[in-house]
Amino acid sequence: MTDLALSVEGLSVSFEGDGGRVRVLHDVSMKVERGRVLGVVGESGSGKSTAALAVLGLLDKGAAIDAGKVLVGGRDLYAATDEERRQLRGGKVSLVFQDPFTTLNPAIRVGKQIAEPLMMHRSMDEAQAEAETLRLLAEVGIADPARMAASYPHQLSGGMKQRALIASALGCDPDLLILDEPTTALDVTIEAQILDLLEDLRRTRQLSILFISHNLGVVSRICDDICVLYAGRVVEQGPTDVVLSQPRHPYTKGLLASLPSLSVERQRLQPIPGRLPDTRAQLKGCIFAPRCHFAQPRCSSEIQELHTAQNGTRNRCWRSAELADTPWRAEVGEEVARRAPPSSDAPIIVDAVDVEREFRSGGVFDALTLRWNGWRPEMAYRPRVVNAVDHVSLTIREGEIVGLVGESGSGKTTLGRCMIDLVSPTGGEVRIEGQTLLSASRSRKRTLLRNAQIIFQNPDSSLNPRKTVREIVGRPLAQIGLGGAERDKRVDELLELVRLGSRYAERYPHQMSGGEKQRVGIARALATKPKFIVCDEAVSALDVSVQASILNLLVDLRDEFGLAYLFITHDLSVVSYIADRICVMKNGKLVEQGRTEDILEAPQHPYTAALLAAVPRVNQHRRAAGA
Amino acid sequence: MTGYVIKRMLSIVLTMAVMSILIFWITQVMPGNVAYMILGDFASPEDVATLEKKLGLNDPTYVQYWRWASGMLQGDLGRSLVMDRPIAPVLWDAVSKSAILAGISIGLVALFGIVVGVYAGVRHGSRADHVVSVATYVNIAIPEFLFAIVIIMLFAGYLNWFPATGYSDLSNGVGTWARHLILPVFTLATGLMAHVSRLTRSSMIDTMQTQYVRAARARGLPERLVIRRHALPNALLPTITVLAIDVGIMMGGIVVVETIFSYPGLGRLLMFAIQNMDVPLLQACMIVITFVYAAANLMADLLYALLNPRVRYGRSSSE
Repeated sequence: MTDLALSVEGLSVSFEGDGGRVRVLHDVSMKVERGRVLGVVGESGSGKSTAALAVLGLLDKGAAIDAGKVLVGGRDLYAATDEERRQLRGGKVSLVFQDPFTTLNPAIRVGKQIAEPLMMHRSMDEAQAEAETLRLLAEVGIADPARMAASYPHQLSGGMKQRALIASALGCDPDLLILDEPTTALDVTIEAQILDLLEDLRRTRQLSILFISHNLGVVSRICDDICVLYAGRVVEQGPTDVVLSQPRHPYTKGLLASLPSLSVERQRLQPIPGRLPDTRAQLKGCIFAPRCHFAQPRCSSEIQELHTAQNGTRNRCWRSAELADTPWRAEVGEEVARRAPPSSDAPIIVDAVDVEREFRSGGVFDALTLRWNGWRPEMAYRPRVVNAVDHVSLTIREGEIVGLVGESGSGKTTLGRCMIDLVSPTGGEVRIEGQTLLSASRSRKRTLLRNAQIIFQNPDSSLNPRKTVREIVGRPLAQIGLGGAERDKRVDELLELVRLGSRYAERYPHQMSGGEKQRVGIARALATKPKFIVCDEAVSALDVSVQASILNLLVDLRDEFGLAYLFITHDLSVVSYIADRICVMKNGKLVEQGRTEDILEAPQHPYTAALLAAVPRVNQHRRAAGA
Repeated sequence: MTGYVIKRMLSIVLTMAVMSILIFWITQVMPGNVAYMILGDFASPEDVATLEKKLGLNDPTYVQYWRWASGMLQGDLGRSLVMDRPIAPVLWDAVSKSAILAGISIGLVALFGIVVGVYAGVRHGSRADHVVSVATYVNIAIPEFLFAIVIIMLFAGYLNWFPATGYSDLSNGVGTWARHLILPVFTLATGLMAHVSRLTRSSMIDTMQTQYVRAARARGLPERLVIRRHALPNALLPTITVLAIDVGIMMGGIVVVETIFSYPGLGRLLMFAIQNMDVPLLQACMIVITFVYAAANLMADLLYALLNPRVRYGRSSSE
């Protein structure tokens, strides 16, 4: 019996792409020792999910293992037959997926789904499996296992579903548990609970875990070892503490420097410039060289191999020893002083007074409810009413960045949309520059709303895929009557402003990366020279390194033009980096608002305190050395 | 669940009420005077006036509607003007013959449509899938009347395997009965079969790519269990809805098919009523068709609820 739960040796995987085979994993080696947790970290396109599926033998059609071996508990996965591999899945290796909302079958009771691997691999009969299911559910902290087992997925919250899926994965006492971003789809307080649970379980059950995540905070909390992937290659690996406190590869340094921290002192973020290399590009040298400040001619001509640094970690950079103590620094030149928050007598841009918004859901027949009064049926008309925003007042001054945080369903997006009249409030009043919006005439409203714009979360769905950047950014300009050469000139100016440059004007959205698309979204919002912009989770869909550069851009634009933002996010670190003032929303109500420093250091409302406590962070001492 | 069933029933009652008003109104504004039709074109104005009074044709429309609708509710379908006898026995005879035709057809549509669709969907991208795709495309593109004429020429004319037209009662032997049914059923079912199988195929493809199917594989379930237990119940939801709509399409189809094959069912009765301006018969036929369609939708809704716990148990645990 070997003491390795998992050993991946020189694994290369490629996919059938449009223009021939595309290699997504290059010579990846990693080990999970028994009873230890290995974190695999990387941004989108790093190949970390492919690695997880390869370990399960569940790669999609069209994918092929070009080289390398996967040994699970000493057994070669790809030397086994399909049938043997199937037997391993759910038995020796089990997987918890990212999104608990789509991973459970909506048509089957939760208990039955958990019992499936038990009956499959431990050959239990139905009664035994049911008893074992209840025991497992109790182990993952479900208060009423019987009720949970009898429920359908739609009757459970996200956190409960993820607990059920963890229970299911533990059922056959696996040699290796793979967790693929297990908390990414969850709210931060639920995430903290699930992480607590996982920590307990790994102690009590001596679990060997392969933990895949993009979140360094989560990884630093739970993983013993860490393996940093970039563009399908391992760039650095070693014990988590050492790697995060003494990063040796420039990419790891960059990742850490891009990460906004939950603290009062605000160093400017140092993003990683550029984008992932095209998977089809044949690079001769270091894969990271095009984005690296430390790159030298030798970097682009010499393939980098993993080697061991003095601190015992392994990395793929030949200059790592020489640069050991040099921090990542993206923007050379003078540090621009952050503009101070506006004083309390700065002019008010937007003023929401006692805003209320209710939603009715369902049709006429859904609103009819049947009740039994003794034996007499009674029909009543009760439309389902949800108060998404419940008497909220919020004032935003010129040049002010107000962060609005809350968990899913707290009503933060609805409030943001009410502030620019994308959603009409059902009560209360919204004033833009002192002019009330609700009773304004159509043309008056239009003029007022020129001053208020929005940036959406997902640039993929908020940019029309059939229009060029010029058309997208020019659209609001045409709306205000700007045409011809003048409009083109303004579009070029705007693209310059968001650091894209006019060469992007003729591109289509699919020809750009996520960060570039979001810049186009920002340019569009800036087109009418607004004074107020709602940023609705504007950086949430982006990778950390890209997110950092967008945050810097938003701060710069504020400092330059005195814009005011309502910055809606679920991410407290981001908001603590960017906002002057923080508002916390829960169940449609503002439960707390105050200066960022005050909220971070002395939250008044217990909910705010709970939110802050729940944020997983990369330890301070680790960060200090990294950035 | 009880609440859901009652709500569905209520909506059916509402649909029927609205449809009956529409049917009555449309047949009333059709050209032609009922009294003249009964008495002939050369009737004297006095006779016409007397008959109109007797039939209540001078009453306000809502009074006429109420008289007609309450009669319907009590099972009185009225008298046919042209045949001059009660509609009920004629209509029920035609309905029962059409029910055999349409029932067998929709059964075949459901069975083969789903089987073929699932087969192709699971083997998405394979040669079998391509063959099914092309065949169903061709099938959908051919209109019913053309298809009917071609198979009559082939199987009844050239090969002489089946009778081209008509209906034979069961009392004349099961064989003869079946031989008369084969061609009309075939015509009625093929187009819709293609329709249902295409839909089932694409819904199966979507379902096979869902995260929960992937999760079922990750638990080590064999593929056939993954398909049967995890994919199928979810993939069939849209098919059920479409089958109910197809019942409606089939109501149109029987008019064409019964006319071509001279099959004495509801479709031909409807044509007869239209051609002869037999207003009460027309109204009765249309009410029956509306009812069949509404009932099919009710069945689909109930079946949908049976397969979909979200409908059965409300939206969330918080309620």
